[in-house]
Amino acid sequence: MASFVEETVPETETVAYMKLALEQAKLALDSLEVPVGCVIIEDQRVISSGRNRTTETRNATRHAEMEAIDVLLEQWKKDGLPREEVALKFSKCTLYVTCEPCIMCAAALSIIGIKEVYYGCANDKFGGCGSILSLHTNSSGKLMMSGGISRKEEFKCTGGIMASEAINLLRSFYEQGNPNAPKPHRTPMPRA
Amino acid sequence: MPEDVLELVNTYQLSTFTTKVCQYAASTKEEWEEQCKLWPTSFHPPTYNIDGITGFSEDDSLSVFNFMKLAVRMAKSGGSVVNAAVIVDPSTRQVIASSHDEILSCGSQRNSTCREPCFSKQPQATNEYDSSKIEKDPMLLMKCPPNEAKQSYKDVACLHPWGWLEQPSHLSSDSWHPLRHAAIVAIENSAARDRCLFPVNAQDSEFAQEAHNMSSPTGSPLKRQKVKDDERMDCQKNGLRCDSSRPYLCTGYDIYFVWEPCIMCAMAVVHQRIRRVFYAFPNPNDGALGSVHRLQGERSLNHHYAVFRVLLPEDILKSEALEKPFQD
Ligand SMILES: [Zn+2]
Ligand SMILES: [Zn+2]
Repeated sequence: MASFVEETVPETETVAYMKLALEQAKLALDSLEVPVGCVIIEDQRVISSGRNRTTETRNATRHAEMEAIDVLLEQWKKDGLPREEVALKFSKCTLYVTCEPCIMCAAALSIIGIKEVYYGCANDKFGGCGSILSLHTNSSGKLMMSGGISRKEEFKCTGGIMASEAINLLRSFYEQGNPNAPKPHRTPMPRA
Repeated sequence: MPEDVLELVNTYQLSTFTTKVCQYAASTKEEWEEQCKLWPTSFHPPTYNIDGITGFSEDDSLSVFNFMKLAVRMAKSGGSVVNAAVIVDPSTRQVIASSHDEILSCGSQRNSTCREPCFSKQPQATNEYDSSKIEKDPMLLMKCPPNEAKQSYKDVACLHPWGWLEQPSHLSSDSWHPLRHAAIVAIENSAARDRCLFPVNAQDSEFAQEAHNMSSPTGSPLKRQKVKDDERMDCQKNGLRCDSSRPYLCTGYDIYFVWEPCIMCAMAVVHQRIRRVFYAFPNPNDGALGSVHRLQGERSLNHHYAVFRVLLPEDILKSEALEKPFQD
């Protein structure tokens, strides 16, 4: 939060929220996780945050987005919100995530019906918001079903927000070695 | 030097040097280990080596068929039919984890693995799952009246990922979660099993040691080690062995789905490094393994599994599905 105090150039809201997402990514890095972080905003308020926990949980689906969504679902259920209201709340939420949501997370964000997503760097291997698949738009998949009640939810998606900061974090992670990767990995060759 | 490489070198002020590397990608794990002595690479096992690509032995087919029938049995949740996922270690024919959709209610779980913190009670018998049980169970042989055969399977999460928005609200005591499709829950269960059976693994402690030697300012590696030790204590109390030889995530494992998974679930299964995916019924709405997307063909992914469709006799699903067509 110190960055708000000493700012000389007024930063946009988008950048301010992305900085919070980057802070989450740094927390992941400190815990030896692939550094990706996110925050969820409702009415200009941070209502949830998440970071990658795949190593700790040994569950490769525990991405930052899934963590942040689960925080909200738990909270709203505790508050006794019915499903319609939860859906309505998600439709007012904006996600800021340091790396383009993967195919799994992009699908999840569409399923919960999020309003908008801002991301940092692109995800060339798994990206679900344009890089590999475009799950944020209605162009793929079928809309009409027998019964005709299911629908696909679109969300607006903007990339490239503080991308180099996000990439730098990822780079420093891969430079120190991924503890979760199969052996052998980058260890300097021992000299006799 | 190619121009784009030169650009990278300049941008990041890299110092270049000449070294020897392998000309061809490794085709076996042994080759890969040798290769890494020259230069670290990543290993992508060629898919044509996956068992079953060139056909199944009679024994293997029977095993596949039996695990699929187990998934079909699990697809009944309360009074409705949902998707189910069963993760199997094919080398031991042991069920590693299983689940069905938990979109509407986790409370109606028949399967106790849902909230089971440790897996000491995981029925070991499931690896000796006997297919004859299906036939012997009189409930499963019940024939359905023809007018009830046209089910839309509206509770199958992968068929209707957005269905949670349209369902009428249940009582507030009901537990629900729009993303707890069978695969997501099964993966969670397999991860919990792994943490429990193998509280510490060589990679973790080695890395923690390494990080500690580098005197990481956060101190988190130490904390992490402490957590691991606590976990180990828990498991030892439960009489479980601590073995450092365990697969990375679900490497080498199979997953059985009743319905072709949606794109979210199909990608979750990529992340968890499943080796083979079996499903019985296609998913025309959001199927990601051929029906709408074909995720196994996305070249950019770092892991690829082989996909098989198991053709079940139609009456299996009917008898399973319509055993209890309405809420009891
Ligand atoms: Zn993701
Ligand atoms: Zn699914």
